[in-house]
Amino acid sequence: MHELGMLMNGVATLAANPMALLLSLVGVALGIVIGALPGLTATMGVAILLPFTFGMDPVSGLLMISGVFFGGVYGGSVTAILLKIPGTPAAAATAMDGFELTKKGMAGIALGTATLSSFLGGMASILVLIFLAPVLAGFALEFSASESFALAVFGLSIIASISGKSVVKGLIAGFLGLLIATVGLDPMGGFPRFTGGYTELFNVPFIPVMIGLFAAAEAFKSLEDPKVRLGMAAALGRIIPPWATYKALLGVVSRSSVLGIVIGIIPGAGSDIAAYVAYNEARRFSKTPENYGKGELGGVAACEAGANGCTGGALLTMLTLGIPGDAVTAVMLGALTLQGLQPGPLLFKEHADLVFTLFAGMIFCYVGMLVLGLGSLRFMGRILQMPKSVLTPVILALCVVGTYAINNSLFDIGIMLAAGVAGYFMQKWDFPASPVVLALIMGPMAEANFRRALSLSGGSYDFLYSRPITAILLTVAILTMLLPLVKRWRADRAAASGGGATGRAEPAK
Amino acid sequence: MSNAPVQGGGAGAPLSTKIANLVIAVILIAVAAAAIASTGDFPKTLLAADVGPARFPVIHASMLIVLSLILIANTLRMPTIVDDTPPVGVIGYVGVALGILATAVCLVAMAYVGYALATVVYMAALMWLMGQRSPLWNPVIAVAVTALIYVTFQSALGVPLPVGSLFE
Repeated sequence: MHELGMLMNGVATLAANPMALLLSLVGVALGIVIGALPGLTATMGVAILLPFTFGMDPVSGLLMISGVFFGGVYGGSVTAILLKIPGTPAAAATAMDGFELTKKGMAGIALGTATLSSFLGGMASILVLIFLAPVLAGFALEFSASESFALAVFGLSIIASISGKSVVKGLIAGFLGLLIATVGLDPMGGFPRFTGGYTELFNVPFIPVMIGLFAAAEAFKSLEDPKVRLGMAAALGRIIPPWATYKALLGVVSRSSVLGIVIGIIPGAGSDIAAYVAYNEARRFSKTPENYGKGELGGVAACEAGANGCTGGALLTMLTLGIPGDAVTAVMLGALTLQGLQPGPLLFKEHADLVFTLFAGMIFCYVGMLVLGLGSLRFMGRILQMPKSVLTPVILALCVVGTYAINNSLFDIGIMLAAGVAGYFMQKWDFPASPVVLALIMGPMAEANFRRALSLSGGSYDFLYSRPITAILLTVAILTMLLPLVKRWRADRAAASGGGATGRAEPAK
Repeated sequence: MSNAPVQGGGAGAPLSTKIANLVIAVILIAVAAAAIASTGDFPKTLLAADVGPARFPVIHASMLIVLSLILIANTLRMPTIVDDTPPVGVIGYVGVALGILATAVCLVAMAYVGYALATVVYMAALMWLMGQRSPLWNPVIAVAVTALIYVTFQSALGVPLPVGSLFE
């Protein structure tokens, strides 16, 4: 195998460059911190570190940036699980089951599962990048606007599965999110919609809304019960899951990793979409789908394996075709160019030694992430031993500062506060927050690509069924949307007939 | 707050949940109707093959109205059950309201006095609100956490925090 030989050479070259190894570990550690802090994303972390890499040799600089990328995607899960603060959009999916596990006193196992799954998903994606890059690169070229629209619709169809107790309330939350997602500049003509004259609303304030709906809403909720205010947040418990437990999750991790890699390859689709899609598929294939959303380890494993699987996929198209899969790889593309490397098919021919040294370094980054992640979890878990009377103010202060950090805008803090108040009442009356976040991610992607595809087809709607990938994705989306509705309808009918007989629902006097 | 499934109307919900469902549904219908009305001011698209800027908002808002009407119908159909969860109580809601108010005041104060001062007072106020009333530890913890966040964001990551118009 040519690739294996080149990889071994890369390992040898890397071993002779201890500074590159050290800087990649520094990158991973910084990435974990950046990912864990609300408002700071992997994209921002890579952009912040980019100027520091100018004076470094290409391997050290690029590995440090890769470390931030990988650590940043994983780091979001830590605060999502412990505090319900999704550090990254992908971690909003992890928070659904991760925080429920924390409330059950299983924070340690949730964190351990997230770390192992992130490592396995990421490693799988790097191995695919090494051995299958040229084969899979062509797949990205099959994706035009119509396929991206269909992918966004497929993502939106998950709303029915993550609706919690009531599908109608989940769908209401989803369509409310879609309506909010239309705030800002029209993707085709640039006309400002529902902005009220505020230039701050020209882009959908997605991250402030996410921080408000998840973290601030939870913090406001903990202000309402005087009895729990002075108590401890939760116990950490065991960190590394028992082998029997994790063995049962390997199928979920494998499937989610593959989904993450495929979604990562698609230009414009990132780890947030991968996490939600992986979560939905894990739930679909689970024998106990009813446990999802209530603290299911499979949900955490799926989101993290999917999100980290995306990293290699996104790098694949960036390195082989020069097409960045997401915002982080777009910044990394700039880093490569600054180092005098031109991404594209010739990169693997003209700089093969360097490329395979980078691949060996990326494997090292993921091993470093596993070691640093597992090693620091006990320390990070100490957050839970703080009294809630201190922890809640810290969470709210982080929400405020993290939101400000996105655009250096106090206006965004106002959006976060409004979303926090809305999220508090949504939680109170069982309107799930996840569909809103999902709609904010997918809504703009769906609209922009639908209208682009329509323009490309000259106003004909043929693209909805004449392009195979589009047709398949839309069919799967319809099935994904309708099956939970049909199942719920049948269960309600059965419960109604059974409930009538047993008299479980007692009418009030 | 417990809430039973609303499909089919087979299971019931407490009266407070039913009232909340109805109020929220009416508010959402009003918001969606207002959104549809304001799309009337959107310009027509210049591209013959484009659906224009109003099409998607109108679709989403229309679906929101339909779903809200379904929620109203389901809520009116479902039987009322006795709520067995302990009520939050007035003191609980006052705590939440004060927390939200403190956050709003912090936001306004940050524009004038900057991050450091606003956050120290905000954190101390929240700790007091949550029952942590130590005159020594509250300010110490508030200053320490504020400083740690400042060092992490401003110094280590180079993310600027607000200075405040009074100090600029």
